[in-house]
Amino acid sequence: MTREETSKYTDLMPDGTARQFTFDMEPKSVITRPSGGDTLAGAGRYEITGIAWSGRGTIARVEITVDGGATWVPAELQTPVLPRAHTRFQWPWTWDGREAMIASRCTDDTGYTQPPLADLIKVRGVNSQYHNNGIQVWKVAADGKITNGNRA
Amino acid sequence: MATARNVIAALMCAAAVVGSPAVVFAQSPTFGVGHAPKPEELKAIDIEVTPDGKGLIHGSGTAAAGKEVYTRRCETCHGPTGQEGPQDVLAGGQGSLTTSRPQKTVGSYWPYATTLWDYINRAMPFDHPSTMMPDEVYATTAYVLFLNGIVGEHDVLNETTLPQIKMPNRDGFTSDPRPDVGASPKKRSQHQ
Ligand code: HEC
Repeated sequence: MTREETSKYTDLMPDGTARQFTFDMEPKSVITRPSGGDTLAGAGRYEITGIAWSGRGTIARVEITVDGGATWVPAELQTPVLPRAHTRFQWPWTWDGREAMIASRCTDDTGYTQPPLADLIKVRGVNSQYHNNGIQVWKVAADGKITNGNRA
Repeated sequence: MATARNVIAALMCAAAVVGSPAVVFAQSPTFGVGHAPKPEELKAIDIEVTPDGKGLIHGSGTAAAGKEVYTRRCETCHGPTGQEGPQDVLAGGQGSLTTSRPQKTVGSYWPYATTLWDYINRAMPFDHPSTMMPDEVYATTAYVLFLNGIVGEHDVLNETTLPQIKMPNRDGFTSDPRPDVGASPKKRSQHQ
Protein backbone atom coordinates (compact mmCIF):
# COMPACT_ATOMS: atom_id res chain seq x y z
CA MET A 1 0.00 0.00 0.00
CA THR A 2 1.16 3.50 -0.71
CA ARG A 3 2.04 6.25 1.71
CA GLU A 4 -0.98 8.30 0.60
CA GLU A 5 -3.32 5.40 1.33
CA THR A 6 -1.88 4.48 4.71
CA SER A 7 -0.54 7.72 6.15
CA LYS A 8 -2.67 10.41 4.53
CA TYR A 9 -6.09 8.87 3.79
CA THR A 10 -6.38 7.69 7.38
CA ASP A 11 -7.94 9.87 10.06
CA LEU A 12 -6.27 10.24 13.45
CA MET A 13 -8.79 10.31 16.31
CA PRO A 14 -8.30 11.97 19.72
CA ASP A 15 -7.72 8.55 21.39
CA GLY A 16 -4.69 7.91 19.16
CA THR A 17 -6.34 5.32 16.92
CA ALA A 18 -6.76 6.09 13.26
CA ARG A 19 -9.51 5.21 10.83
CA GLN A 20 -8.41 3.39 7.69
CA PHE A 21 -8.92 3.81 4.76
CA THR A 22 -11.04 6.92 4.60
CA PHE A 23 -11.47 7.56 0.90
CA ASP A 24 -15.08 8.84 0.71
CA MET A 25 -15.59 12.57 0.78
CA GLU A 26 -18.87 13.15 2.52
CA PRO A 27 -21.19 15.93 1.33
CA LYS A 28 -19.55 19.33 1.49
CA SER A 29 -20.43 22.80 0.28
CA VAL A 30 -18.95 26.24 0.49
CA ILE A 31 -20.13 29.71 -0.47
CA THR A 32 -17.52 31.05 -2.88
CA ARG A 33 -19.07 34.49 -3.34
CA PRO A 34 -19.24 36.54 -1.26
CA SER A 35 -16.57 34.86 0.89
CA GLY A 36 -13.57 35.44 3.12
CA GLY A 37 -11.42 38.33 1.88
CA ASP A 38 -14.27 40.03 0.01
CA THR A 39 -15.72 43.37 1.12
CA LEU A 40 -19.34 44.22 0.40
CA ALA A 41 -19.86 47.79 -0.83
CA GLY A 42 -22.91 48.38 1.38
CA ALA A 43 -26.42 47.20 2.08
CA GLY A 44 -28.26 45.91 -0.98
CA ARG A 45 -28.81 42.90 -3.17
CA TYR A 46 -26.11 40.26 -3.61
CA GLU A 47 -26.24 36.87 -5.27
CA ILE A 48 -24.86 34.23 -2.94
CA THR A 49 -23.24 31.45 -4.94
CA GLY A 50 -21.00 28.48 -4.25
CA ILE A 51 -20.41 24.80 -4.92
CA ALA A 52 -21.55 21.57 -3.28
CA TRP A 53 -20.38 18.00 -3.88
CA SER A 54 -20.65 14.49 -2.45
CA GLY A 55 -18.30 11.56 -2.83
CA ARG A 56 -21.22 9.24 -2.24
CA GLY A 57 -23.74 10.46 -4.75
CA THR A 58 -25.69 13.39 -6.08
CA ILE A 59 -26.45 16.68 -4.37
CA ALA A 60 -30.17 16.71 -3.59
CA ARG A 61 -30.49 20.04 -1.80
CA VAL A 62 -28.49 23.08 -0.71
CA GLU A 63 -29.76 25.47 1.94
CA ILE A 64 -28.52 28.92 2.88
CA THR A 65 -28.54 30.70 6.21
CA VAL A 66 -27.74 34.36 6.78
CA ASP A 67 -28.42 34.30 10.52
CA GLY A 68 -25.80 31.81 11.69
CA GLY A 69 -27.96 28.72 11.26
CA ALA A 70 -31.16 29.83 13.01
CA THR A 71 -33.13 29.64 9.76
CA TRP A 72 -32.38 28.03 6.40
CA VAL A 73 -33.80 28.65 2.92
CA PRO A 74 -33.38 26.47 -0.18
CA ALA A 75 -30.90 27.62 -2.82
CA GLU A 76 -31.35 27.04 -6.52
CA LEU A 77 -29.15 24.31 -8.10
CA GLN A 78 -27.61 24.97 -11.47
CA THR A 79 -28.06 22.07 -13.87
CA PRO A 80 -26.76 19.57 -14.79
CA VAL A 81 -26.58 18.04 -11.31
CA LEU A 82 -24.35 14.97 -11.65
CA PRO A 83 -23.13 12.36 -9.15
CA ARG A 84 -19.74 13.09 -7.53
CA ALA A 85 -19.55 16.38 -9.39
CA HIS A 86 -19.34 19.95 -8.23
CA THR A 87 -22.81 21.41 -8.22
CA ARG A 88 -23.23 25.17 -8.33
CA PHE A 89 -25.92 26.81 -6.25
CA GLN A 90 -27.22 30.36 -5.94
CA TRP A 91 -29.58 32.42 -3.88
CA PRO A 92 -30.47 36.13 -4.02
CA TRP A 93 -29.67 37.89 -0.75
CA THR A 94 -30.70 41.33 0.39
CA TRP A 95 -28.17 42.48 2.95
CA ASP A 96 -29.51 44.93 5.51
CA GLY A 97 -26.04 46.24 6.36
CA ARG A 98 -25.85 44.61 9.78
CA GLU A 99 -23.43 41.88 10.90
CA ALA A 100 -24.43 38.54 9.35
CA MET A 101 -23.23 34.95 9.54
CA ILE A 102 -23.76 33.32 6.16
CA ALA A 103 -23.33 29.65 5.32
CA SER A 104 -24.48 26.86 3.02
CA ARG A 105 -25.37 23.29 3.95
CA CYS A 106 -25.97 20.48 1.49
CA THR A 107 -27.77 17.15 1.54
CA ASP A 108 -27.03 14.34 -0.91
CA ASP A 109 -29.31 11.63 -2.28
CA THR A 110 -28.37 9.24 0.55
CA GLY A 111 -30.09 11.65 2.97
CA TYR A 112 -26.85 12.82 4.59
CA THR A 113 -26.81 16.49 5.62
CA GLN A 114 -23.55 18.36 6.09
CA PRO A 115 -22.97 18.91 9.83
CA PRO A 116 -21.70 21.98 11.71
CA LEU A 117 -17.92 21.92 12.16
CA ALA A 118 -18.31 21.76 15.94
CA ASP A 119 -20.25 18.48 15.66
CA LEU A 120 -17.42 16.93 13.65
CA ILE A 121 -14.77 18.13 16.08
CA LYS A 122 -16.73 16.73 19.03
CA VAL A 123 -16.48 13.22 17.58
CA ARG A 124 -13.26 13.32 15.53
CA GLY A 125 -11.06 15.91 17.19
CA VAL A 126 -8.94 18.25 15.07
CA ASN A 127 -6.45 15.92 13.40
CA SER A 128 -8.48 14.51 10.52
CA GLN A 129 -8.47 17.51 8.23
CA TYR A 130 -8.69 15.53 4.97
CA HIS A 131 -12.37 14.90 5.59
CA ASN A 132 -13.45 18.14 7.14
CA ASN A 133 -16.84 18.45 5.50
CA GLY A 134 -18.22 20.76 8.16
CA ILE A 135 -20.37 23.76 7.35
CA GLN A 136 -18.25 26.78 6.37
CA VAL A 137 -19.53 29.99 7.92
CA TRP A 138 -18.52 33.43 6.65
CA LYS A 139 -18.83 36.41 8.97
CA VAL A 140 -19.99 39.60 7.26
CA ALA A 141 -19.12 42.58 9.46
CA ALA A 142 -21.20 45.76 9.44
CA ASP A 143 -18.47 47.48 7.38
CA GLY A 144 -18.83 44.76 4.73
CA LYS A 145 -15.56 42.94 5.47
CA ILE A 146 -15.87 39.15 5.30
CA THR A 147 -13.81 36.76 7.43
CA ASN A 148 -13.84 33.10 8.48
CA GLY A 149 -16.94 32.71 10.62
CA ASN A 150 -15.86 29.28 11.87
CA ARG A 151 -13.19 31.11 13.87
CA ALA A 152 -15.50 33.79 15.21
CA MET B 1 -5.38 44.38 -27.85
CA ALA B 2 -9.14 44.49 -27.55
CA THR B 3 -9.27 42.92 -31.00
CA ALA B 4 -6.95 40.09 -30.01
CA ARG B 5 -9.09 39.44 -26.97
CA ASN B 6 -12.22 39.32 -29.09
CA VAL B 7 -10.61 36.84 -31.46
CA ILE B 8 -9.60 34.62 -28.58
CA ALA B 9 -13.07 34.87 -27.09
CA ALA B 10 -14.59 33.93 -30.45
CA LEU B 11 -12.25 30.96 -30.79
CA MET B 12 -13.12 29.82 -27.30
CA CYS B 13 -16.83 29.97 -28.13
CA ALA B 14 -16.24 27.88 -31.25
CA ALA B 15 -14.21 25.38 -29.28
CA ALA B 16 -16.92 25.21 -26.66
CA VAL B 17 -19.52 24.27 -29.28
CA VAL B 18 -17.37 21.77 -31.19
CA GLY B 19 -15.64 20.26 -28.22
CA SER B 20 -18.42 20.29 -25.67
CA PRO B 21 -18.07 16.97 -23.84
CA ALA B 22 -21.83 16.62 -23.51
CA VAL B 23 -22.29 16.88 -27.28
CA VAL B 24 -19.47 14.49 -28.15
CA PHE B 25 -20.53 12.03 -25.49
CA ALA B 26 -24.10 11.94 -26.72
CA GLN B 27 -22.94 11.05 -30.24
CA SER B 28 -20.44 8.30 -29.46
CA PRO B 29 -19.41 6.34 -26.39
CA THR B 30 -15.66 7.00 -26.82
CA PHE B 31 -13.51 9.96 -27.74
CA GLY B 32 -11.61 7.98 -30.36
CA VAL B 33 -8.24 8.46 -28.69
CA GLY B 34 -6.02 5.97 -26.90
CA HIS B 35 -6.78 2.31 -26.33
CA ALA B 36 -7.54 -0.02 -23.44
CA PRO B 37 -4.18 -0.92 -21.88
CA LYS B 38 -2.94 -4.45 -22.53
CA PRO B 39 -1.94 -6.53 -19.47
CA GLU B 40 1.76 -6.28 -20.39
CA GLU B 41 1.48 -2.48 -20.69
CA LEU B 42 -0.02 -2.30 -17.20
CA LYS B 43 2.66 -4.63 -15.88
CA ALA B 44 5.40 -2.38 -17.22
CA ILE B 45 4.21 0.59 -15.14
CA ASP B 46 2.85 -1.31 -12.13
CA ILE B 47 5.17 -0.70 -9.17
CA GLU B 48 2.62 -1.47 -6.46
CA VAL B 49 3.91 -3.12 -3.29
CA THR B 50 1.46 -4.78 -0.91
CA PRO B 51 1.91 -5.14 2.88
CA ASP B 52 2.79 -8.83 2.49
CA GLY B 53 5.71 -7.88 0.23
CA LYS B 54 4.21 -8.74 -3.15
CA GLY B 55 5.75 -6.41 -5.73
CA LEU B 56 9.04 -5.86 -3.88
CA ILE B 57 12.06 -5.98 -6.16
CA HIS B 58 14.88 -8.43 -5.37
CA GLY B 59 17.69 -6.80 -3.38
CA SER B 60 18.94 -6.17 0.13
CA GLY B 61 20.47 -3.60 2.46
CA THR B 62 21.31 -2.73 6.05
CA ALA B 63 21.10 0.48 8.05
CA ALA B 64 24.89 0.46 8.24
CA ALA B 65 25.06 0.61 4.44
CA GLY B 66 22.11 3.00 4.29
CA LYS B 67 23.81 5.65 6.44
CA GLU B 68 26.19 6.53 3.62
CA VAL B 69 23.41 6.73 1.02
CA TYR B 70 21.22 8.71 3.40
CA THR B 71 23.97 11.24 4.12
CA ARG B 72 24.55 11.78 0.42
CA ARG B 73 21.01 11.73 -0.91
CA CYS B 74 18.52 12.46 1.89
CA GLU B 75 20.12 14.45 4.68
CA THR B 76 19.88 17.93 3.14
CA CYS B 77 16.11 17.68 3.21
CA HIS B 78 15.45 15.43 6.20
CA GLY B 79 18.31 16.22 8.62
CA PRO B 80 21.10 14.07 10.10
CA THR B 81 18.79 12.01 12.35
CA GLY B 82 15.62 12.38 10.30
CA GLN B 83 14.16 14.82 12.80
CA GLU B 84 15.65 18.19 11.83
CA GLY B 85 13.88 18.84 8.53
CA PRO B 86 13.50 21.16 6.71
CA GLN B 87 11.20 18.63 4.96
CA ASP B 88 9.06 15.87 6.52
CA VAL B 89 10.23 14.51 9.88
CA LEU B 90 11.09 10.83 9.37
CA ALA B 91 11.69 9.65 12.93
CA GLY B 92 10.37 10.14 16.44
CA GLY B 93 6.88 11.01 17.58
CA GLN B 94 6.22 7.62 19.18
CA GLY B 95 3.75 8.13 22.01
CA SER B 96 2.58 11.50 20.64
CA LEU B 97 -0.59 10.36 18.84
CA THR B 98 -2.85 10.92 21.84
CA THR B 99 -1.41 14.34 22.63
CA SER B 100 -2.66 17.70 21.37
CA ARG B 101 0.33 17.84 19.01
CA PRO B 102 0.50 14.41 17.42
CA GLN B 103 3.55 13.78 15.25
CA LYS B 104 2.82 11.31 12.47
CA THR B 105 6.07 9.74 11.32
CA VAL B 106 7.17 6.45 9.78
CA GLY B 107 7.97 5.23 13.30
CA SER B 108 4.97 6.60 15.17
CA TYR B 109 2.23 6.12 12.60
CA TRP B 110 2.90 4.04 9.49
CA PRO B 111 1.30 0.56 9.64
CA TYR B 112 3.51 -1.27 7.11
CA ALA B 113 7.29 -1.34 6.56
CA THR B 114 6.74 -2.19 2.88
CA THR B 115 5.09 1.20 2.39
CA LEU B 116 8.35 2.90 3.34
CA TRP B 117 10.24 0.91 0.70
CA ASP B 118 7.52 1.71 -1.85
CA TYR B 119 7.52 5.43 -1.10
CA ILE B 120 11.31 5.81 -1.20
CA ASN B 121 11.38 3.72 -4.38
CA ARG B 122 8.77 5.77 -6.19
CA ALA B 123 9.18 9.27 -4.79
CA MET B 124 12.58 9.87 -3.17
CA PRO B 125 14.92 11.67 -3.36
CA PHE B 126 12.24 14.28 -3.99
CA ASP B 127 14.31 16.11 -6.60
CA HIS B 128 15.47 12.90 -8.36
CA PRO B 129 12.75 10.28 -7.77
CA SER B 130 13.19 6.69 -8.95
CA THR B 131 16.93 7.04 -9.52
CA MET B 132 18.10 4.64 -6.79
CA MET B 133 19.06 0.99 -7.27
CA PRO B 134 17.01 -1.61 -5.32
CA ASP B 135 19.87 -2.19 -2.83
CA GLU B 136 20.00 1.56 -2.11
CA VAL B 137 16.24 1.58 -1.53
CA TYR B 138 16.54 -1.35 0.92
CA ALA B 139 19.49 0.34 2.65
CA THR B 140 17.81 3.74 3.10
CA THR B 141 14.61 1.98 4.19
CA ALA B 142 16.67 0.13 6.80
CA TYR B 143 18.32 3.37 7.88
CA VAL B 144 15.00 5.21 8.39
CA LEU B 145 13.69 2.21 10.38
CA PHE B 146 16.95 2.20 12.37
CA LEU B 147 16.51 5.92 13.17
CA ASN B 148 13.12 4.93 14.60
CA GLY B 149 14.56 2.12 16.70
CA ILE B 150 12.67 -0.51 14.69
CA VAL B 151 15.61 -2.49 13.25
CA GLY B 152 19.22 -2.98 14.29
CA GLU B 153 22.16 -1.47 12.45
CA HIS B 154 23.16 -4.78 10.82
CA ASP B 155 19.73 -6.36 10.28
CA VAL B 156 19.52 -7.37 6.63
CA LEU B 157 16.37 -6.19 4.87
CA ASN B 158 15.29 -7.89 1.68
CA GLU B 159 12.05 -8.92 0.00
CA THR B 160 11.54 -11.65 2.63
CA THR B 161 12.54 -9.91 5.86
CA LEU B 162 11.05 -6.46 5.18
CA PRO B 163 7.38 -7.59 5.18
CA GLN B 164 7.98 -9.45 8.46
CA ILE B 165 8.70 -6.27 10.39
CA LYS B 166 5.85 -5.33 12.70
CA MET B 167 5.55 -1.57 12.80
CA PRO B 168 4.89 -0.05 16.27
CA ASN B 169 1.51 1.40 15.27
CA ARG B 170 0.37 -1.62 13.25
CA ASP B 171 -2.61 -2.22 15.56
CA GLY B 172 -3.55 1.45 15.84
CA PHE B 173 -6.02 1.37 12.96
CA THR B 174 -9.77 0.83 12.94
CA SER B 175 -12.14 0.59 9.99
CA ASP B 176 -13.90 3.70 8.72
CA PRO B 177 -17.23 4.02 10.61
CA ARG B 178 -18.56 6.95 8.63
CA PRO B 179 -21.19 8.24 8.29
CA ASP B 180 -20.76 8.94 12.00
CA VAL B 181 -21.84 12.60 12.06
CA GLY B 182 -24.55 14.22 9.97
CA ALA B 183 -26.15 11.09 8.58
CA SER B 184 -29.83 10.49 8.49
CA PRO B 185 -30.19 7.24 10.51
CA LYS B 186 -32.69 5.57 8.20
CA LYS B 187 -30.26 5.70 5.29
CA ARG B 188 -27.23 4.59 7.23
CA SER B 189 -27.41 0.89 6.31
CA GLN B 190 -26.87 1.68 2.63
CA HIS B 191 -23.21 2.35 3.26
CA GLN B 192 -22.26 -0.56 5.44
C1 HEC C 1 15.03 17.69 -2.22
C2 HEC C 1 14.52 17.38 -0.91
C3 HEC C 1 14.39 15.90 -0.51
C4 HEC C 1 15.34 14.91 -0.60
C5 HEC C 1 16.76 15.02 -1.13
C6 HEC C 1 14.73 13.75 -0.03
N1 HEC C 1 13.45 14.02 0.38
FE1 HEC C 1 12.17 12.73 1.29
N2 HEC C 1 10.72 14.17 1.26
C7 HEC C 1 10.86 15.44 0.74
C8 HEC C 1 9.58 16.10 0.74
C9 HEC C 1 9.30 17.51 0.23
C10 HEC C 1 8.66 15.18 1.27
C11 HEC C 1 7.14 15.36 1.40
C12 HEC C 1 6.53 15.11 0.05
C13 HEC C 1 5.04 15.20 0.00
O1 HEC C 1 4.38 15.38 1.03
O2 HEC C 1 4.50 15.03 -1.11
C14 HEC C 1 9.41 13.99 1.61
C15 HEC C 1 8.87 12.86 2.20
C16 HEC C 1 9.57 11.74 2.55
C17 HEC C 1 9.04 10.60 3.27
C18 HEC C 1 7.61 10.49 3.78
C19 HEC C 1 7.48 11.11 5.15
C20 HEC C 1 6.07 11.07 5.70
O3 HEC C 1 5.94 10.97 6.92
O4 HEC C 1 5.10 11.10 4.94
C21 HEC C 1 10.04 9.70 3.41
C22 HEC C 1 9.96 8.36 4.10
C23 HEC C 1 11.22 10.25 2.77
N3 HEC C 1 10.90 11.50 2.27
C24 HEC C 1 12.43 9.61 2.67
C25 HEC C 1 13.52 10.12 1.96
C26 HEC C 1 14.74 9.37 1.71
C27 HEC C 1 15.02 7.98 2.23
C28 HEC C 1 15.54 10.16 0.96
C29 HEC C 1 16.89 9.85 0.38
C30 HEC C 1 16.91 8.70 -0.51
C31 HEC C 1 14.82 11.43 0.76
N4 HEC C 1 13.61 11.34 1.37
C32 HEC C 1 15.35 12.51 0.08
C33 HEC C 1 12.03 16.01 0.30
C34 HEC C 1 13.21 15.32 0.08
